[in-house]
Amino acid sequence: MNPLPERLNERLERRQVRSWNGEEPPDWLLSPVPAPNRDPEVDELVALALRVQAAPPLQVDPDFARQLEQRILVRHAALHLERPARGWSFPRLLRAHPVFGVALSLCLLLLLLGTGVLVAAAQVTNPNNPLSVVKHWEQQVQVSLANSPASQAQLELQFARDQLTTLVTLADAAHAEAYREALVELDQQLNIASRAIHALPTGADHNRVESQLATLQADARHTLRGLLPQLAFLERLLTTDELGRLGDSVPHLVSVAIVLPAHPNGHAIISIAGDEIQPGAQLLVDTRLVDVGGSLQNGVYVFVANWAGNQHPQSIGILNPDGTAAQTTTITLNSSDDHGNSNGNHGGNGNGNGRGKP
Amino acid sequence: MEAFKDQLDRARRGEPEALSALYRQLLPGVFGYIAARVPDRATAEDLTSEVFVKMVEGISHLRASDEAGVAAWILQIARVTVAGYYRKRERQPACVPLEPRFWEEETSGENQVIYASHPDLDPARSAEARDEWDAVVQAMNTLTEEQRQVLVGRLILGYDVATVARMLGKKANAIKALQFRALRSLQRVLGKHPAPEHASPLHTRQKEDVP
Repeated sequence: MNPLPERLNERLERRQVRSWNGEEPPDWLLSPVPAPNRDPEVDELVALALRVQAAPPLQVDPDFARQLEQRILVRHAALHLERPARGWSFPRLLRAHPVFGVALSLCLLLLLLGTGVLVAAAQVTNPNNPLSVVKHWEQQVQVSLANSPASQAQLELQFARDQLTTLVTLADAAHAEAYREALVELDQQLNIASRAIHALPTGADHNRVESQLATLQADARHTLRGLLPQLAFLERLLTTDELGRLGDSVPHLVSVAIVLPAHPNGHAIISIAGDEIQPGAQLLVDTRLVDVGGSLQNGVYVFVANWAGNQHPQSIGILNPDGTAAQTTTITLNSSDDHGNSNGNHGGNGNGNGRGKP
Repeated sequence: MEAFKDQLDRARRGEPEALSALYRQLLPGVFGYIAARVPDRATAEDLTSEVFVKMVEGISHLRASDEAGVAAWILQIARVTVAGYYRKRERQPACVPLEPRFWEEETSGENQVIYASHPDLDPARSAEARDEWDAVVQAMNTLTEEQRQVLVGRLILGYDVATVARMLGKKANAIKALQFRALRSLQRVLGKHPAPEHASPLHTRQKEDVP
């Protein structure tokens, strides 16, 4: 047997269907005396439901119903007249044109997305990150929105300073490529800032930003020098170049000549002419450090190194004790046979300052 | 379902016929709900008017699109309106009329004639009606808000269990249980107040059955 609430509901449903069909309720339903095979508890509740349903206090007076209907129609007409006078409202516009709502939502979504991308792009440090393009665009927009050439120059200086900060975070073996790109960007940014400052008319603004540029360049020299010990040879070369462009004293190779030994496993004599090669500089053959000491003879740095076979090096470089480096691929090759006794041409073999094997 | 939605859309757009139809459909439920909560018919009618004026003012903002949603919305307005009425009454000092109310007036010969020809003004009838009103209000006020809404939905608006379930956001079984508990509570309270003779067809039959 169904539970009581279920049975009660079934009876009420049946009663409702009958009432919709215009049938009178049966005597058993109306009578408080339970009919045979009936459920007296349910019968009582159904009877009570009918009593509530028909209770006069809950019935609407027809006169009141008519008057109220008139009243709400008048109120509705008054509202209808008031509304156009109020003009359009945003919620009403949304209700009337759901497409407008969808378009607005899309715009908001795009705006949020765009803002998110811009914020994320502003944090980007790695030049390989696709968002760096957005960052550049953001910077260009900022510059174009600046209200005066002095402000633009100031912004360019700020971007260069930001780029220098970025570079510091990339000075390790894991970010070698990103470091190289960031270094190129720093150079470009410094040039842009410099051009922007030079374009300024002479005056207080010009002097102020020019002094800021000089400070930035000094900071950049100091920072880049500090980074040198952490860098691999290639990054050192590039950083040294940048230091040179920033006006620092850096080594520069003018000419390199190698006298190869006449026999395998003989000694090769490497003579390097250049500027700012410091005492104690180390030799690099094909970017590899050769553990051999050199000596300065008549303005030329001479290294004597063990030479395996008759191989020709692609590049010769030096690494100064301060970490700066220089390299060249323009090498003059001679063999001992060409010159007879090559040692005599260069005034000795450097007094055996060390032996190395490339 | 579709017919109701169409009617509702037309009412939202401001078609008076659709608004009237909606009003007629909802009036018994709203009035029944309010009448069962307030002490007299005049108050019930005032508050019902207030609810339907709010309906007219707010129908263009209504989100519901089915009958259950609309019924839930209007009963919510009714609930808030009744609550507002009681809040206002709490703030007002109790007021005792200087003139006796018509059912309290002493009967004179002239009045007796009037009462005899106007059954509504018969003091005995009025007192009886008032007792019944009090009994219904007292009984309905013992119910929870959900029980009241279930009874209004099922008995006065004539909705099926599924519609009332959508109206209250509950499952059908919960509505059946609420309906059962509501009637049981009413039975307990109304058992103490026997229905007056003219109250319902039930009572008329009852009288005929009992010798």
